[in-house]
Amino acid sequence: MTVIETNDLTKTFGDLTAVDSLNLAIEEGEIYGFLGPNGAGKSTTINMLLDLIRRSSGSATVLGYDPEENAKKIRQRIGVLPEGGELYDRLTGREHLTWMANSKGADDDIEAMLERVGLSAEDGKRPVGEYSKGMQQRLAFGMALIGDPDLLILDEPSSGLDPTGMQEMREIIKEEADGGRTVFFSSHILGEVEAVCDRVGIMNEGRLVAEGTLDDLRGDLDLGASISVEVSDPPRASALESLDGVRGVTVRDHTVDATLTGPEAKVRVVTDLDDRTTVEDIISEDTSLEQLFNTYTGNGEANTADSGQAVESAEEAETRQEVAQ
Amino acid sequence: MSAIGVMRKDILDVRRAKIVWFVGLLFTLVTVLFFYQINEFGGIDGFADVLLGLWNLVFVGALFIPAIALVAAYLSIAGERESGSIKFLLSTPINRRDLVLGKFLSRVTVVTASLLFAFVVAAVLSLVWFSDLMIGTFVAIAALTLLYALAYVAVAIAISASTATRSRAMGGALAFYFLTNLLILFNGLSIDAALDYLLNDLLDLGIGQDPINFVTMLISPTQSYLTSTTLAFPEDFLVNQGLNPDAAAWYVQGEMGLALLLAWLVVPLLIGVVRFERANIG
Repeated sequence: MTVIETNDLTKTFGDLTAVDSLNLAIEEGEIYGFLGPNGAGKSTTINMLLDLIRRSSGSATVLGYDPEENAKKIRQRIGVLPEGGELYDRLTGREHLTWMANSKGADDDIEAMLERVGLSAEDGKRPVGEYSKGMQQRLAFGMALIGDPDLLILDEPSSGLDPTGMQEMREIIKEEADGGRTVFFSSHILGEVEAVCDRVGIMNEGRLVAEGTLDDLRGDLDLGASISVEVSDPPRASALESLDGVRGVTVRDHTVDATLTGPEAKVRVVTDLDDRTTVEDIISEDTSLEQLFNTYTGNGEANTADSGQAVESAEEAETRQEVAQ
Repeated sequence: MSAIGVMRKDILDVRRAKIVWFVGLLFTLVTVLFFYQINEFGGIDGFADVLLGLWNLVFVGALFIPAIALVAAYLSIAGERESGSIKFLLSTPINRRDLVLGKFLSRVTVVTASLLFAFVVAAVLSLVWFSDLMIGTFVAIAALTLLYALAYVAVAIAISASTATRSRAMGGALAFYFLTNLLILFNGLSIDAALDYLLNDLLDLGIGQDPINFVTMLISPTQSYLTSTTLAFPEDFLVNQGLNPDAAAWYVQGEMGLALLLAWLVVPLLIGVVRFERANIG
């Protein structure tokens, strides 16, 4: 079943076209990452799916219903983590969750939900006005999970979270998807999407400029990967170039830089160098993700803070991959 | 009922806001002062003291109650739009109409609670100080005053449903208060007097007071309320106060005041629902 479908969905605000002829088809059980820089039209799209904003033209269905006609039925079956929405300062964390459960007629265990999103029973008794930004985001995520929703729509879910919080949220998202739920989430941080998503769509200036698995997109662009290894006694470049998956090698002092057709060739390069000499350090930056994003969004000079985070997250992911291997 | 769910959650939230209770208590305090004054200095010969107490309460209420109602409700929707919490509210299984009606019911509950408190205090004071309640008049005035308050709550909800920011909602509420209340109550500066001056002194059309009064009733819940309260007082008391309802045309009688007050309850609410149905919440 197609859980989210849009056909030529368009929204204009005066002269500005925020979303331009968007076609999406998200299938049941999928984790779909909706990527793009700030202002690309991601939130406007989500707000149209949630009937917060009325479309200018085109059509959309969520769980088979048109949001503009059956918002109530949709809301009964989805969990939403909106972007930039403040919670109610005067209500406690527990009151927020209880309210959400009552409104959906759900009988969730409130204490268990607090614990699941990393809030203590004590936190649950405090008014949300005393919460940090990260705690509020955890609570909001818990509210989205109430009532066993068929679809989770998460708009920039990691905003305000520290790296541990982001990691925990990713794990819960994966658990939810394993339970058969569909997850649609937007982000401007690539590494986050890479770690959990089955498929991604990249928005830029209101248009969907690319869609597919990350491997598909990498393949389309033929961007490859790269690795940099510091060794005590570097071999000649030509010795490594015959390795499978290696495109080019440069040697400078004690550093060997290799460009590769894909990340799987990294281990081969490191193993080969380890046989020949002593490996002193490995710098593995999957810059291709950054390149991928920037190629599609024309955002060569990406916001430094954001791209810094993206690289970090990508590195984390790499490290985990390597450890696994 | 989804609107009831919105109401319950909103009451939970708003009952912790001190400002609403503060304004309500202020009204109770003013009522007590007016009753005390009559107890000290006496009422009008030949009439129960409580009648003058209620008569004064109507005029104090005419000024105070719109302020209470507007303060209690003008931020109810616009405030949530500005903070973004409305996105959480609209992620629960409700539609937009439920949201507007639920907010209305919640704020109506709060305003009703604070007015009932004031009237219960007034009733107790009447019995203690005046030894007489005039139960029919008392209940009628309480009911009309409550309806008057709810009409202003409906207006505040409509303003709040039509604006996206706190400052615009406040501007709208202040403008409405100024136009329909202050400019009605202060003789000489009133819309009433301005119309009379324009139509009769400048244009010399010779239009009577009744049509002018009707227009001010139409544009102001305050004027409709004041007119409607003539239904509650005994006729000889009204004559004593310098009013002669029999002399006025049918369309400026108390019944018309009551009908227009009801319209001021329903129409703004409908406008609020329609306006909010069309809003972009981004």
